[in-house]
Amino acid sequence: MTLSVSSQSRARPSWLAEQSNLIGLAVIIVLFWVLFTSLAPGFVSSFNLFALSRSLAVDIVIGFSTMVVLATGGMNLAIGSIGVCAVMASGYLMQTIGLPIPVAMALALLLGAFLGWLNGFVIVRSGVNSFIITLASASLFLGGMLILSKAQTFNALPPEIAAFGRMRWGFLSPLLFVALGLGAALIVLFRFTALGREILAAGANPRAAELSGVPVGRAIIIAHTLSGALAASAGLMLVFRLGAAMPSIGQDWLLPSFLAPVLGGTLLAGGFVSVVGTILGALLVTTLRSGLLVMQVGNFWLQLFLGLILLFAVMVDRYRGVYAERRSLGRKNPRQTSGRSA
Amino acid sequence: MTNNMTLGQRFLANEWSALAVAILVGLVVLASMSPAFLTEFNLYVMLRSFCVVLIVAFAQMLTLAVGHMNLSVGALGGLVAIAVGGMMEKWGFPVPVAVLAGLAIGAAGGLINGLLTVRTGINGFIITLATASAFTGINLGITESIPFYNLPAGFVAFGTGRLYALPYLLLPPVLIALALAFFLARTVPGRQLLAVGGNPHAAELSGIPRDRVIVMAHTLSGLLAGAAAILAVAQLGSAQPSIGVDWLLMSFAAPIIGGAALTGGHISVAATALAVVLIVIIQNGMVLAKVDPYWVQFLLGALILAAVGLNRLRAVRAGGA
Repeated sequence: MTLSVSSQSRARPSWLAEQSNLIGLAVIIVLFWVLFTSLAPGFVSSFNLFALSRSLAVDIVIGFSTMVVLATGGMNLAIGSIGVCAVMASGYLMQTIGLPIPVAMALALLLGAFLGWLNGFVIVRSGVNSFIITLASASLFLGGMLILSKAQTFNALPPEIAAFGRMRWGFLSPLLFVALGLGAALIVLFRFTALGREILAAGANPRAAELSGVPVGRAIIIAHTLSGALAASAGLMLVFRLGAAMPSIGQDWLLPSFLAPVLGGTLLAGGFVSVVGTILGALLVTTLRSGLLVMQVGNFWLQLFLGLILLFAVMVDRYRGVYAERRSLGRKNPRQTSGRSA
Repeated sequence: MTNNMTLGQRFLANEWSALAVAILVGLVVLASMSPAFLTEFNLYVMLRSFCVVLIVAFAQMLTLAVGHMNLSVGALGGLVAIAVGGMMEKWGFPVPVAVLAGLAIGAAGGLINGLLTVRTGINGFIITLATASAFTGINLGITESIPFYNLPAGFVAFGTGRLYALPYLLLPPVLIALALAFFLARTVPGRQLLAVGGNPHAAELSGIPRDRVIVMAHTLSGLLAGAAAILAVAQLGSAQPSIGVDWLLMSFAAPIIGGAALTGGHISVAATALAVVLIVIIQNGMVLAKVDPYWVQFLLGALILAAVGLNRLRAVRAGGA
């Protein structure tokens, strides 16, 4: 079963449509910044900007983690579970075993990549929908982590961890630059490498890709492996930020992981990703969260706003798609517009 | 095709077989291992936890029937729970009024999901992910995470009362299960629902109003999520804003273990109910064996994977026969 919106919008959006989406998103973000700054001057204080840059870094990488799987037309519900597994593994390796920080971090990233690979492998081999496999594996990974760690927080990590988390480059946290660096690497992957092209081709039209010699199964497995590694990176960023490895990390990642790429114009149907869009999508989410916090609306209403914004964004996207379809009706056959799971 | 199958193959091809065997094995093992298992009180405890999970599973099953999914079952449940609690505690509504209003809120939430999905043509996953966040936001915005504790005594008594091992709470789920089975097997809208799930295009060509049926499935799903929430409030004796946060996995686990296909058109009320029985037995066994509660989470994931694998195997066998 494909989770296509409609077969027409599977086509890669035109360059112009993509730019208009990004510009629209940027305008919305600027409007919110103006709004929050005028309502609550504390919003642009250096303290708040620093806090914002730290959570933005995590939101961006969580978004990337879902984005690379959306590229194949699949989804990964296990991002939070993989993230927390990597977090707890890093905590165990640093605090209990006493491994040096870079080694522990590298092993934790490897674990994340391995769990992602496992997802991809089972999805490809069983031919079962990625939704179900990752729903089950999310529970499996989280349960396994809780059994092994007994839900104990590792809070005696080397002091360098928290120190790096507090470090400032100007107003911003170095973590944000790590996230942007990952974004640059992903742009290179999807724009300039054969592998990135294969992943997108596998998502756009698996059968056509298979027939033209693209190893679709391999592309899906690699995308999931990458997703696992990115989820682990997001988890490790939180370890730096919190200065501790907590078993509660990752449990609220599901919504933001889809918000950032979907707001940014990445297609759920696969075949098209927007790295810059995902960064802007994450920026919008972080801006809202931080702004509402500064205005003391509190966390309670935040969920409602995020939900409504996601609805608004997908609808705008949908109507843009309908408009594009109408314009191209003359050239394309509109017969298949109603996908089976629309 | 059936004639060529051996007895074993035919057994494997039966939806319920694996579940029934697993349940029997579970019952025998637990009864022989723990004397506490077959006591009246333990059976009451198991039946009581069966109630809410069963209706949550049905809520998801109906959207799966049309090839959709509803990620907002838990969020909608939480909203209905606090709405019902609030109406009874703050506004002093009589129990039946509050319950009906709660069901109406659930159905309205489902209707919103259905209309948004059908009208926009956007994937139901994203729509219900968004509405789930919105419902949770309203819930938390209203309650600020503070539960309603002072519920009418009669309502709470219904949640704890029992006749020997049978909790009163079991009555609504049994009625709902029977009604659903009848609805899906014998009524026109029920058949249409399965037809749309089985092959939307064919259903549409044979004159079934596809969009209306999908909206109906979502509305019923919301209604059932509301019913599950009201039972959960009665069971807990208080309206917790956190009701529903752990429903998502369970809601998919039971129908899928019961053999439902994500592609739609293929669901079974009885098999879903058996799957819930199995889940409840496993949970109860874990408690009796004093195993780490985290194992439940792990095993539930493993169980879904096993069920999916078994279904694949069955499909391959059936295809090959």
